[in-house]
Amino acid sequence: MSVFGGDSWGREAQYRKRRVDDLIIDGLDSSSYKKLSNGKFTCLLCPKNPIFDSSLMLSMHNKGARHLAAAAKLKEREISIENEAKKRIALSNCPVGYAAISITSMQASKSVSRPLIQQTRKAVSEVLCKQAPQQIGDNIGCHSLGVTSGFSCNTSVFATKVAEIVPPLRKLDFQERRERELKFTAAGWKRDCTGKWFKDENVEFDSDDEDPNVCLR
Amino acid sequence: MYLYNLTLQKPTGIVCAINGSFSGGKSQEIVVARGKVLDLLRPDDNGRIQTILSVEIFGAIRSLAQFRLTGSQKDYIVIGSDSGRIVILEYNKEKNVFDKIHQETFGKSGCRRIVPGQYLAIDPKGRAVMIGACEKQKLVYVLNRDTVARLTISSPLEAHKSHTIVYSITGVDCGFDNPIFAAIELDYSEADQDSTGQAASEAQKHLTFYELDLGLNHVSRKWSEQVDNGANMLVTVPGGGDGPSGVLVCAENFVIYKNQGHPDVRAVIPRRADLPAERGVLIVSAATHKQKSMFFFLLQTEYGDIFKVTLEHDNERVTELKIKYFDTIPVTASLCVLKTGFLFAASEFGNHGLYQFQAIGDEADVESSSATLMETEEGFQPVFFQPRGLKNLVRIDQVESLMPIMDMKVINLFDNEETPQIFTLCGRGPQSSLRILRPGLAISEMAVSQLPGIPSAVWTVKKNVTDEFDAYIVVSFANATLVLSIGETVEEVSDSGFLDTTPSLAVSLLGEDSLMQVHPNGIRHIREDGRINEWRTPGKKTIVKVGYNRLQVVIALSGGELIYFEVDVSGQLMEVEKHEMSGDVACLDIAPVPEGRQRSRFLAVGSYDNTIRILSLDPDDCLQILAVQSVSSAPESLLFLEVQASVGGEDGADHPASLFLNAGLQTGVLFRTVVDMVTGQLSDNRSRFLGLRAPKLFSAIVRGRRAMLCLSSRPWLGYIHQGHFLLTPLSYETLEYAASFSSDQCAEGVVAVAGDALRVFTIERLGETFNETMIPLRYTPRKFVLQPKRKLLVIIESDQGAFNAEERESARKEFFEAAGIGNSENGNVDKMENGGDDEDKDDPLSDEQYGYPKAEAEKWVSCIRVLDPREARTTCLLELQDNEAAFSVCTVNFHDKEYGTLLAVGTAKSLQFWPKRSFTAGYIHIYRFLEDGKSLELLHKTEVDGVPLALCSFQGRLLAGIGSVLRLYDLGKRKLLRKCENKLFPNIIISINTYRDRIYVGDIQESFHYCKYRRDENQLYIFADDSYPRWLTASNHIDFDTMAGADKFGNVYFVRLPQDVSDEIEEDPTGGKIKWEQGKLNGAPNKVEEIVQFHVGDVVTSLQKASLIPGGGECIIYGTVMGSVGAFLPFTSRDDVDFFSHLEMHMRQEHPPLCGRDHMAYRSAYFPVKDVIDGDLCEQFPTLPADLQRKIADELDRTPGEIMKKLEEIRNKII
Repeated sequence: MSVFGGDSWGREAQYRKRRVDDLIIDGLDSSSYKKLSNGKFTCLLCPKNPIFDSSLMLSMHNKGARHLAAAAKLKEREISIENEAKKRIALSNCPVGYAAISITSMQASKSVSRPLIQQTRKAVSEVLCKQAPQQIGDNIGCHSLGVTSGFSCNTSVFATKVAEIVPPLRKLDFQERRERELKFTAAGWKRDCTGKWFKDENVEFDSDDEDPNVCLR
Repeated sequence: MYLYNLTLQKPTGIVCAINGSFSGGKSQEIVVARGKVLDLLRPDDNGRIQTILSVEIFGAIRSLAQFRLTGSQKDYIVIGSDSGRIVILEYNKEKNVFDKIHQETFGKSGCRRIVPGQYLAIDPKGRAVMIGACEKQKLVYVLNRDTVARLTISSPLEAHKSHTIVYSITGVDCGFDNPIFAAIELDYSEADQDSTGQAASEAQKHLTFYELDLGLNHVSRKWSEQVDNGANMLVTVPGGGDGPSGVLVCAENFVIYKNQGHPDVRAVIPRRADLPAERGVLIVSAATHKQKSMFFFLLQTEYGDIFKVTLEHDNERVTELKIKYFDTIPVTASLCVLKTGFLFAASEFGNHGLYQFQAIGDEADVESSSATLMETEEGFQPVFFQPRGLKNLVRIDQVESLMPIMDMKVINLFDNEETPQIFTLCGRGPQSSLRILRPGLAISEMAVSQLPGIPSAVWTVKKNVTDEFDAYIVVSFANATLVLSIGETVEEVSDSGFLDTTPSLAVSLLGEDSLMQVHPNGIRHIREDGRINEWRTPGKKTIVKVGYNRLQVVIALSGGELIYFEVDVSGQLMEVEKHEMSGDVACLDIAPVPEGRQRSRFLAVGSYDNTIRILSLDPDDCLQILAVQSVSSAPESLLFLEVQASVGGEDGADHPASLFLNAGLQTGVLFRTVVDMVTGQLSDNRSRFLGLRAPKLFSAIVRGRRAMLCLSSRPWLGYIHQGHFLLTPLSYETLEYAASFSSDQCAEGVVAVAGDALRVFTIERLGETFNETMIPLRYTPRKFVLQPKRKLLVIIESDQGAFNAEERESARKEFFEAAGIGNSENGNVDKMENGGDDEDKDDPLSDEQYGYPKAEAEKWVSCIRVLDPREARTTCLLELQDNEAAFSVCTVNFHDKEYGTLLAVGTAKSLQFWPKRSFTAGYIHIYRFLEDGKSLELLHKTEVDGVPLALCSFQGRLLAGIGSVLRLYDLGKRKLLRKCENKLFPNIIISINTYRDRIYVGDIQESFHYCKYRRDENQLYIFADDSYPRWLTASNHIDFDTMAGADKFGNVYFVRLPQDVSDEIEEDPTGGKIKWEQGKLNGAPNKVEEIVQFHVGDVVTSLQKASLIPGGGECIIYGTVMGSVGAFLPFTSRDDVDFFSHLEMHMRQEHPPLCGRDHMAYRSAYFPVKDVIDGDLCEQFPTLPADLQRKIADELDRTPGEIMKKLEEIRNKII
């Protein structure tokens, strides 16, 4: 407290201010904001994460219409996620393992009267089949090989589950292709605007290196 | 993260050494400063150096001096340190401690250029001490006695001169005239002012005499005269009736005698014949030997040659100065000539030596003299000599030194060992070595002999209680007993009286002079006159266990019956009492008979119901249970260990007598508890896991004290060293049964059985944590890598200014031919492999002793070696050609290429550091392993535009730090192919660590940079760096976000990327953030946080995360330049952190460091210490006086015993 020195009123004032801050903050839900290292606050609910100089301003913001709208939206999304989760849990709880079952066995066991579940499952697997390659592609695109952050790990597990349901041909093809492309970029090849490959001038190549223009065709 | 710092191996290098009689009387001791540790050494009767006392002072010792007050019998120690204080110590023989007599503050702490502490000089008559700084300040303290003969010290007198650099100071011996101090000084005031540089080139060194006027209490500059600009050292010449007084000025190529009012007497230092002309000869250390009638000096040059310097004088007039070649030993930091005829050489690098004088160089040898000094137009005419084998000295002992540790790795490469070994690269030039450190005591095996069967037990027994040596070794087999008598040879005897057709359970001396053999069916008592009394077991019962001492025997019969016997006054064994235990007895032991008593009071009985009972043996309550202790599993073996009362002295601390009961449990745990000597109550339990087998306990004698051998899956020794009870493993194989052994060849040995062999061995170098195996190397080792699969090491070595092996060999041949020595038929090829410095006595010129012949500074020699540590054999050695030197090495697996693991070595050609750092080219060599990794073949080498100081394998490619550029290479057909680079590093990259797709780059001057490789863009990004500019010397990867580093000022620190930043980096799907985010002032956009900071006080050269005990938690092990090894252990509980931080706090207050440096300030010397508790300070707790221990313990709400237990526990977690 050297700014105020000695036993001036300054220190007391500082304490009082801090106490007031604490009281204001007490009333707020701690997951809705974050205290930054510079002492300012940011709202975590609003999409733009506005920054506030003091807790007072944060508390005012929390009463504002925009914040309330954002909070409501967030809540809505949470509920929808929850619903989705329940749905999946219901699916996975069926006595025959979700992943273990093959399409043929599914057909064989059609006689088992669970038409609704069957129907939903079919719909879901169709949707997922369409999505899967794209998702995997995204995954590789944003994470270089070897990174297994929580997100990518989950999707890949999920993807293998799907892969057993649908004929895996298309997806594998895509992944393989993607992997080969990456190998060429890592080796120093670049692409021009037309999608043709050319050598980066700062990179050295061996005389017998493969040419992606040829082998990726 | 909280860490506990503990030094495992104290520094082994020596900064300076002095000798004198510190304990008073005739004894001769050596005090050595090892950076932050002060040691007192003494050569024992066998000519081995013993460490009497070792104290960590938590400061840097810069200079040492000893002085003696007139008429006194004892020397005092003066210490110049970084504390800004002068400290005078006295060695207290009774308590075995250094007592601080005086501590006077004169300046700021830290090693500063104008704060005194760097130089110390003593008036030879012990009347004054001068303490000097590198620049300007010199202070003189007057030393005197008060009325009760205590040492007094005056307030300081100033002898400052500003703008003056000091090179050396010394006291001038002028009898009882006013004390005079001499100094070599350089006045730079003019050179500083003159911007043209002319004054600087004309600057001249002066020799200045300062006189302390004892009457006026004032210091004045008395005399000043020019000396050679190459002058670097002063040596006092005896005066005051013993000699001519004055000083010897050691300068480049010359030694000059100077005194006030006396003309200079100058002689040239003889040169080695093979020395290049541009190299000078400097004296680096000196020692004076003075007797009543004569004196001489031993001066050592920077090449290791020692010269004997004598003065011809006629009263005060010196007529001639002679320099005669004496001998050559490795270059020393200090030489100490002891009055007992020893020379202690504290080596600059490599092992220290203790030499004995065979002669004092009276025989004719190469000699230069002031009388024959010739001056021609080219200058003075040099005198040449050839070094030869030792003639005047003979080495009788050496003290191992790891200084400097260049690189270190911890791994277990030996199949038959359960703990990992520490592989260290040590030393420099010809004294380089690979040393394998193993936790445990070294043993030396005296004999191994095969026995006719598999023995089950062994005992040694004396014939009479007064005998010094054992008479018989008795070995028991499954159905027989073998008796061997110990004499000149060990042979089987049949007339001993022992029953040999039955196995034995115990054999011992009983009473004064009779022997006892306990076998399953009874007790056989063999009287001295040959009469035999036999006691038989009742009914069909057999004896299962026995406990005995010299006067008491307890046997346990099957079924759990105890029978107690005593030896009565007539020497008969009498049954005294019987007692029925509830179940079978697992083990028994009786405490040894206390001095002057009839019997021991306690019997310990271990049962299979997991209990240990203490029974009384007193006649009034015989075999009554005094105490019961339950243990975690059934005890297998019991041993009482009595610690005799001690009030300090040679090798102990102040502690009362106490009795410990040790139990080896079936789970492999050693359980130790204190037995109350009066009531028999048990308290203060400690347990320690020793190995997979239940420990068997045996008593042994170590340095005249009772010690304990514990045989588990490896043997351990529990003994008392400098007041501490230490339980240390022995570096030996698994043993079955052991007994102490004493004969005239081996006073304190152990005889043991293992398999079908009988082994006799002794235990060496007590008190040391590690024992080492040394494998010599050829040049200064730089780095090494492991091939864990093949268990081989690849070492790179390089040296500047030396000739390569062939050139040296041919020069050597030439020399031998010239000298006419009929050697060198062997060609020394094998020895060359290992650096040519094994203990080969017939080699007249070993490189280890004489050093390599010197070449021009721009000449480099270097080699790559593949070494099999199990056989200590070099399987491949490639010497680099064309002045190339290797600086970095790594193994790399290139993806989808045919060769498998390859070796990459970074080299530089014609590297020069002076006048400017320059080189012709840098290369990366790629080698292929052949013959199962045992040899190397060059695949290709790639020229690069810098010196590759760091190499690392990364995602099937090679990352190289070339100057300030980080580059990624792929393997091509003819060379490496550059694939990607980042040039944004500030200085020079010296370390690269990788984990997943992150790269942690260490810059020589600016700490760590965290990078990421983006495969889809083929780019390397720096996304975080450190905000402190650290001069990195060592680095180690801790976890995904954390790195440990050490800087050249002796700090160890951990940096961690904040969790949110780390997450952000990893979850950056577009990659835009990492790409476009800008830092400020050319830094990276994110900063790592420092989470741990600690000043070790010694330059850390290697860091590694490892565990030294099998299955133990990991800690960070570090090795330092001074040759010490330490560890940082992460705390696992908050309670421990609280406890140790409080203990540390109290220790700081109650036990301030010896040399006056504040502990907290020392550990925070460069940056405030953060989250590290200094275990070295905490471990000084047992050395405190008992009342102080109690005081601290009270503050912590514990007992001193509990604190010591805690200290022991945490140490056991590390090693």
